[in-house]
Amino acid sequence: MPGGATSPEALAANDPYEPVNRQMLVLNQRLDDIFFRRTVKTYRSLPDAMRTGMHNILRNLASPTIFVNDVLQAQPARAGQTAARFVINSSMGLGGIFDPATGIGAPYHGEDFGQTLAWWGMGEGPYLMLPLLGPSNPRDAAGLAIDTFVLDPTNYIHFKQHFWWDAGRQYLNFLDLRAQSFETLQGIERSSVDYYAALRNLYRQVREAEIRNGAPAKGENFPDF
Amino acid sequence: MSKPFSLDRRALLTAAVTAPFLAVPAFAADPAETFVNENIQKGMAILNNKALTKQQRRDQFEQFLLGLADLKRIADFTLGRYRATTSPADLAAFDAAFQNFAVATYQSYFSKYTGQSLQVTNSTQAGPTDYRVTANVIDPADRSGKEPLEVTFRVRTDRGKPVVTDVAVNGAFLSIAQQAQFVGFLGQNNGNVKLLIAHLADVTADLAKSTN
Repeated sequence: MPGGATSPEALAANDPYEPVNRQMLVLNQRLDDIFFRRTVKTYRSLPDAMRTGMHNILRNLASPTIFVNDVLQAQPARAGQTAARFVINSSMGLGGIFDPATGIGAPYHGEDFGQTLAWWGMGEGPYLMLPLLGPSNPRDAAGLAIDTFVLDPTNYIHFKQHFWWDAGRQYLNFLDLRAQSFETLQGIERSSVDYYAALRNLYRQVREAEIRNGAPAKGENFPDF
Repeated sequence: MSKPFSLDRRALLTAAVTAPFLAVPAFAADPAETFVNENIQKGMAILNNKALTKQQRRDQFEQFLLGLADLKRIADFTLGRYRATTSPADLAAFDAAFQNFAVATYQSYFSKYTGQSLQVTNSTQAGPTDYRVTANVIDPADRSGKEPLEVTFRVRTDRGKPVVTDVAVNGAFLSIAQQAQFVGFLGQNNGNVKLLIAHLADVTADLAKSTN
């Protein structure tokens, strides 16, 4: 109900800005049509090997940020795994195009500062639908800003055209993520009674699973049925 | 008397030494893991059977799903707080609409993995009668080295035989997301379950059209 009052269900779902968030989803879908959908279709038509190589490079570039977050979460084994991946994939993997580290026992895992804040006990806050970036909350939005502008070591390498490096990399990150989730989002939209509510719930579930590092959900917050 | 005794001792000693190296699993699979392992192969076989017509595949998949999952239990859950205020007639109509919706949703979802297989990797017990069985989607044609997609089945054993009550992909459970949507929809439409049933029928028809 865009523009209307916040429903009791939305308040129960910790979404006090639901009317604005719903309008933002509509705007995001239009922006997606303009900036991503056609490009994603073209990108998906590229050979698998090219897209996998791009995906691997982007992941490898994120390794230092993941490493710092592993350390901040007091996870030395995972930090070691991330460091090993970065060294192996940057060298044997030809700058991260290939991922030999997974094959020799150091599989990828993601971490970000939003998860680190959660690990240190910070609550997520109200649900937010951010322009272009999509589902989020104050904790994860702040985490993304810290990851992008503070923890990413490329910020501290000074060279000409730094702005275009950042912009290009972020665009490729979005493109890669959108291409990876293309069919999933299409499936959710097609099978949804309320696409907005579906996205809100799925975003929260996926984030909670990431924060638990894949451990099964249980306890008071998991419905018993 | 001493010879057989010494042979027995030698045999026991040999068994004790070699036992750790024998290919016997340390832990037997729990009932939930066995249940999922046996059933998902049947489901994938139906979806992979190219000899079936669209209607035959849908009917067989429905029968398979009814044997695997407790759809009535899931339907009751997805209505959330509105279940208590819904009339028995509307509840029966909702259950029927939900069954069709669930068959179309799961068929549409798992059809994406035609030609692939699901391999059970582990099972954890979250409560006395509550299990999570994890399987990986294995694509024999995939040479990219990407991690396989992880699917988790929630299996309950509290009512006798094991039943699936939810399925998660990468940690997100479908029934929980469905409840969020249905409750959200009802909240915006004055709790009108008839409207939800009509909307579910539309979504089901749309899903059925786009699934082979």
